[in-house]
Amino acid sequence: MLVRQGWSLEYESLDTGVELWTLLSACICSKSLVRRQRNIGIKMVEESDPYADMILADGISLLCNDIQVDPQDIVMLAISWHMKAATMCEFSKQEFVRGLQALGIDSLEKFRERIPFIRSELKDEHKFQEIYNFAFDWAKEKGQKSLALDTAIGMWQLLFAEKEWPLVEHWCQFLQARHNKAISRDTWSQLLEFARTVDPALTNYDAEGAWPYLIDEFVEYLLENGIQKVQLSDWTH
Amino acid sequence: MPCRTTSSPPPSSSFSAGLLTALASRNLHVSVIMNERKTIDLEQGWDFMQKGITKLKNILEGLPEPQFSSEDYMMLYTTIYNMCTQKPPHDYSQQLYDKYRESFEEYITSAVLPSLREKHDEFMLRELVKRWSNHKVMVRWLSRFFHYLDRYFIARRSLPGLNEVGLTCFRDLVYHELNGKVRDAVISLIDQEREGEQIDRALLKNVLDIFVEIGMGQMDHYENDFEEVMLKDTAAYYSRKASNWILEDSCPDYMLKAEECLKREKDRVSHYLHFSSEPKLLEKVQHELLSVYATQLLEKEHSGCHALLRDDKVEDLSRMYRLFWKIPRGLDPVSNIFKQHVSTEGTALVKQAEDAASNKKADKKDVVGLQEQVFVRKVIELHDKYMAYVNDCFTNHTLFHKALKEAFEIFCNKGVSGSSSAELLATFCDNILKKGGSEKLSDEAIEETLEKVVKLLAYISDKDLFAEFYRKKLARRLLFDKSANDEHERSILTKLKQQCGGQFTSKMEGMVTDLTLAKENQSNFEEYLSNNPNINPGIDLTVTVLTTGFWPSYKSFDLNLPAEMVKCVEVFREFYQTKTKHRKLTWIYSLGTCNINGKFDPKTMELIVTTYQASALLLFNTSDTLSYQEIMTQLNLSDDDVVRLLHSLSCAKYKILTKEPNTKTITPTDHFEFNSKFTDKMKRIKIPLPPVDEKKKVIEDVDKDRRYAIDASIVRIMKSRKVLGYQQLVMECVEQLGRMFKPDVKAIKKRIEDLITRDYLERDKDNPNIFRYLA
Repeated sequence: MLVRQGWSLEYESLDTGVELWTLLSACICSKSLVRRQRNIGIKMVEESDPYADMILADGISLLCNDIQVDPQDIVMLAISWHMKAATMCEFSKQEFVRGLQALGIDSLEKFRERIPFIRSELKDEHKFQEIYNFAFDWAKEKGQKSLALDTAIGMWQLLFAEKEWPLVEHWCQFLQARHNKAISRDTWSQLLEFARTVDPALTNYDAEGAWPYLIDEFVEYLLENGIQKVQLSDWTH
Repeated sequence: MPCRTTSSPPPSSSFSAGLLTALASRNLHVSVIMNERKTIDLEQGWDFMQKGITKLKNILEGLPEPQFSSEDYMMLYTTIYNMCTQKPPHDYSQQLYDKYRESFEEYITSAVLPSLREKHDEFMLRELVKRWSNHKVMVRWLSRFFHYLDRYFIARRSLPGLNEVGLTCFRDLVYHELNGKVRDAVISLIDQEREGEQIDRALLKNVLDIFVEIGMGQMDHYENDFEEVMLKDTAAYYSRKASNWILEDSCPDYMLKAEECLKREKDRVSHYLHFSSEPKLLEKVQHELLSVYATQLLEKEHSGCHALLRDDKVEDLSRMYRLFWKIPRGLDPVSNIFKQHVSTEGTALVKQAEDAASNKKADKKDVVGLQEQVFVRKVIELHDKYMAYVNDCFTNHTLFHKALKEAFEIFCNKGVSGSSSAELLATFCDNILKKGGSEKLSDEAIEETLEKVVKLLAYISDKDLFAEFYRKKLARRLLFDKSANDEHERSILTKLKQQCGGQFTSKMEGMVTDLTLAKENQSNFEEYLSNNPNINPGIDLTVTVLTTGFWPSYKSFDLNLPAEMVKCVEVFREFYQTKTKHRKLTWIYSLGTCNINGKFDPKTMELIVTTYQASALLLFNTSDTLSYQEIMTQLNLSDDDVVRLLHSLSCAKYKILTKEPNTKTITPTDHFEFNSKFTDKMKRIKIPLPPVDEKKKVIEDVDKDRRYAIDASIVRIMKSRKVLGYQQLVMECVEQLGRMFKPDVKAIKKRIEDLITRDYLERDKDNPNIFRYLA
């Protein structure tokens, strides 16, 4: 998978298969990249320039292949979260190595074995929230303050398929019909709050609350279009 | 007087009555004799007392009996004195004390009660009054006879005093038996009086005094035995009355009756009830007559509060105020109806103006028309009228001031056919302040009207919008010399300043001052030119230098000036440089005026035109015919401006240019030619260039300013509070900005979110309803 401009990977030997290395080389085997022998695994990898060596889209699809995960699978987001990846569809070597270290993965085997655990973390409300908020920075264009609408919608569909928020399709439709602009971090994070705390029938929605105006307008949109019917008086309870 | 003697040792029985008054001075002598008297036993002594008591009873019963002489009294007193001062066992104080009481009890049982029991109603009351008064006489006399008991025996043993024992007997025996009967008789008389019958008020007064006196300083008996039931009866009485009146009478009639009833009840108190009953009694009556039926009364269909307001029944309304003022929260519904009424009338004016405007809409669209002007007039009249109501009928009560304010706020913020009321007011002011405005008024009338407009402004929430429109119009008045009177201009600014604060008018004041300074500057410029004749451009030039910031924003440097004028600009620039080096001049040609001479075939005429128009006309000095496109390129103006100014020169009243084809509108394919045949009976004509409709721009500008204002307000609040809940932030923000405009909560929310994005604020990690300031 993964290599671009001289990601010079070093390995010592394929002896007891301890090294992260094994994994990397296994991934890379198709391309002849493995050269020098020097130190063992991780330490040595850190020494190299973290910016020069990136795993990009192609590499990622190779990786997915190796660990038998669909690139569109939300678990990839969770993995990226573990890697603390800065950008979608990219891992720097440093991110990747540290992530694997933290996950205690030193072989493809282990990586595969770890997947169900990582997947299960999505069910943990607190971790899901972290992953959700991580996704904003991960997915947005670097240098921008907000997240492009298309990307945001894609991410929401992915995330809320997991979280099972029944209004997600309405939300996305609403944004395309009425908003059509980028999404701020505040709106992003408050939407999860909204999905978590306000029931889909909106019975406990407080119009006087501090919800971002976009969410207020979404509720208006739902009511206007008869998608949800709530008496105004109910909102105050 | 006999009672005086009690302060000295009593005289011996051998003293004559004639000595009585001299007693005090003979104390010494008397005491010498004291030891010589004989012991009196109880039976003997009491026999003597009994005689005196019988005589007293006879007198009270009206039997023929001579009055007590001083001697009689002396004898009786002395007997008691002696019987009490004998050595035990001959001290009969206790026995005498008991007998004293028994004497009353015996008399009451044998004479008083039987005579009362056989009488009823008013006769019983009369008898009671008489018996009570007798009883008091009896107590007075007997207590004098027995007075010596009071001094030592009673005082030493802390027993009830003689007077109290006497009154208590009456209370326990007579009052307790009869008070219910008496009370009913009194109440029935009161009811008779309420029905218009004459009753003996003095009798009632006397009877009720018994209830008070029997309490011996406490009001319990009056309150519990009489007043309570009397109040209940009163309530029942008026409840009956009210239930009929409310059906039969109109609201004004009902109120007349109610007022009369209250007056009578008050009168009643002053004549025979105890004064402490007044508030309670009136409260009952008010409750039954007014509180209970308030809604029904006030909302009577043809005569209720609405109808009274509709028919301007000032007197009835005043009465309504007087009546309901005394009732707790009684004025609330009245003020509500008042508010509704005023707001309905106001809304009707809005509707009327809307209709009139839509009928006239066809021809003149942009200009705020006469109809709207009439509308503001009418609103002012409405305000005058109802302010008078508040002052007179409702005696300046704050509740009604509030109602009036709220009513005006409702319809004053509606606007008429697309023009906000802020704009309407600004235009109204403009019409009054400009030369040849639609209203011809005396100076005093103008002052008064301005005063009223400013008052109306208080009801308008978009004060910033008013300020912006006002400034636009003020700019036109000042720059085009259209202001009729400098005094009025300054006077309204003073009024606005008083009402809305100095910040509100600072720019406007700056504008007025700028103009004064500009006049000085102009004379300096003229002096400069006469001192430097070599640089004189040969055209009279007047430049008004304005301070950026005070004035509305205008487009600058857009027009390609004709060469002659460019020279003028240069000359002035040089002059200005001599005065100051640090200021940058930005030329706004769109506000300029030119006087040019047109050499038409019939005659030469002076044309007063704008700089734009003049520049267009001057193009024809070099070409006979020009196309739309050529004109546009040479002037460097937008389509909008070119269309507007060519229309004013070729399609309007004065056709200085002829247009090919000769139609009423300008199209980009048109061609224009100087109309050398043009003439007019005047030698000097003004060719107006209709102003662009600036409404949209004004509103946009105000919107932008508001965003800044909200941002600033939020940051100010958060800077001082650091952490604040959303609701409170919005509330404080609305409060801070409320003097200028009513910020939309949604707008505030958007600004908060924007400030979050710009890292001025953040949401609390745990509570999304709380914001933190990020320093």
